[in-house]
Amino acid sequence: MIAVIVFWTLAVITVLSAMITAFSRNIVYSAFALLGSFAGVAGIYLLLGADFLFIIQIFIYIGGILVVTIFAVMLTQGVADMNISNRIVGLIPAALIALLAGAVMLEAILRTPWPHPGTAALNPTTHAIGNAFLGPFLLPFEIASVVLLAALIGAIVISRQAARAEA
Amino acid sequence: MNTLNLANLGFAWLPLLPLIAVAVGAAIILLVGVRLEDEDSAGLGILALGVLLVSFVCTLFTIGVNAEAFGGALLTDDYTAFFEIVIQAAAAISVALSLDYAADNGLAGAEYYSLVLFAVLGMMLMAAAGDLIIVFLGLETMSIAVYALAGFVRREARSSEAALKYFLLGAFSTGFLLYGIALIYGATGTVHLDGIRAAIVARAASQPYLELGVGLMVIGFGFKVAAAPFHAWTPDAYEGAPTPITAFMATGVKLAAFASFVRVFMIYLGPAAAQWSGVLWVLAALTMTVGNVVALVQDNIKRMLAYSAIAHAGYALVGMTAAGSAAAVLYYLVAYAFATLGAFAVVIVLERRATAGLRIADYRGLAQTRPGLAAAMTLFMLSLTGVPPLAGFVGKLYVFAAAVDSGHVPLVVIAVINSAISAYYYIGVIVAMYMQEGTPEIEPSGASPGVLIGVAIAALAVVLIGIAPTPYMNAARDAFAAAAGPPAQATAFAR
Repeated sequence: MIAVIVFWTLAVITVLSAMITAFSRNIVYSAFALLGSFAGVAGIYLLLGADFLFIIQIFIYIGGILVVTIFAVMLTQGVADMNISNRIVGLIPAALIALLAGAVMLEAILRTPWPHPGTAALNPTTHAIGNAFLGPFLLPFEIASVVLLAALIGAIVISRQAARAEA
Repeated sequence: MNTLNLANLGFAWLPLLPLIAVAVGAAIILLVGVRLEDEDSAGLGILALGVLLVSFVCTLFTIGVNAEAFGGALLTDDYTAFFEIVIQAAAAISVALSLDYAADNGLAGAEYYSLVLFAVLGMMLMAAAGDLIIVFLGLETMSIAVYALAGFVRREARSSEAALKYFLLGAFSTGFLLYGIALIYGATGTVHLDGIRAAIVARAASQPYLELGVGLMVIGFGFKVAAAPFHAWTPDAYEGAPTPITAFMATGVKLAAFASFVRVFMIYLGPAAAQWSGVLWVLAALTMTVGNVVALVQDNIKRMLAYSAIAHAGYALVGMTAAGSAAAVLYYLVAYAFATLGAFAVVIVLERRATAGLRIADYRGLAQTRPGLAAAMTLFMLSLTGVPPLAGFVGKLYVFAAAVDSGHVPLVVIAVINSAISAYYYIGVIVAMYMQEGTPEIEPSGASPGVLIGVAIAALAVVLIGIAPTPYMNAARDAFAAAAGPPAQATAFAR
């Protein structure tokens, strides 16, 4: 019963924050409203017993992506005039696409026979995930580091050459 | 399992060697590059060619092995080897085209060539992938490297625009692919392609989620192969990127995306073909028509070739709608790749700084000033049109014949009409070169040995693959047969 109350609280926070992000005409509000959205999703992970995902969601999305987003927004010049950047354009096509996507998702949710695993005791999942990374998923784990290396070089190329051009 | 036992993980050196060669080569080029001045970047290009050669030799050892490693995450069959070799060839020609281009345009050599090699690594992973996580990681390795390469010419706004558009739309499309992978995992409980096929065959997959996941994956792959209506990024990205990178994007990226697309859909999602072949039918018809019709009105040769690349993705998709024509698709992609590489090589010869020399009108009179170059360009244009006996004609013949055999006659009619439309703009280039007056200015560095060798190799390939198609078609057939073989045939490496 408590879980149901907690779930609905988190769901309402997540969706309301997401709506503020999408509809606010001030990009600063949009950026800050992301906090509620990310935190709400993190709460739902915790509610589902996914402790590792919960902490990663906090680390990466709130600690990393959100902070950088807010920095970017605050450091951008003329942020007060930013309300034009988030103008709701093409309201009717957007609404149509949202309705269509929503209908497809609703259909899929209703037609799927959901397995109910019952309530399991809260077990740390990090142990299993760690073993998977150095076990069956060793290759993806290693390739991920190559992806990051390529991204790093790409980022340096683009930013360093810009600095050179200014000099 | 507290100790790491590689044997239990299905670890094997052989399938990894071509990949390791490229990754280590990329790192070596970075390290060597630190000690070099930018003017020496051509030497790094030669080094990159050497790395690709080593990787190619490693791939040769994997031919005929037909095994899997890492519990099925990497498939070392002839299909992988086929695409690895074609990707290595496309990358090698792109590097050869870059040798003087990169130095003349002040592109920092070490980063440039190492990013090309990282992209090759991603492409080869996509071809070899036996599970959806590897497909995704390969796609990301390739895409991230190519985003940076597209924006390499910082002083040109077009290049930055190309990188930004390609990056934003590419990241968006990767989101679709990843969401699709997540839903397929949810529906079948596994990311292994073998397990997914088994779940579909056993009707154990949760239907609505499987359908949604497959649909989202079509969108994700559709972006990468530049199929309409997901093609909007293509002309701007191809036009703005440095021309050797455009050639690489139009061939390497497309080959890798199709390698993965064909393997995942035609082999492992084959049992669910009823759910996606209709979608591909519509995509194919739309892609061919949009590509060819919009190409008619282009006066910039890079944009024209970009729309041509879209149209050719459409012809390949025609092959994907027919169950029996996977080998024809492989053959077609090879024919397309060489003609496109050659065409972009000729573009590099005529291209001058500040993006001049890129109008089709700039090709007027090329037959008088550079008859050899004009003849080669004529070959590439005719092959892309599909004129016998060149490679493009044989490829189209195989694809269309297979599609007719599977009863897709209306689609083939659309494809043939499109081929006729495409003749107009391809032959327009030939008319400009041979029948119109003008003296095209040629960038002195454009006609460097690397570029001319690239033109020669591509021209030779277009003619040879067209005149003697049998060995190549047999290789494509063997490759697909090896990939489509029953799972029992693909045994794990014994240790």
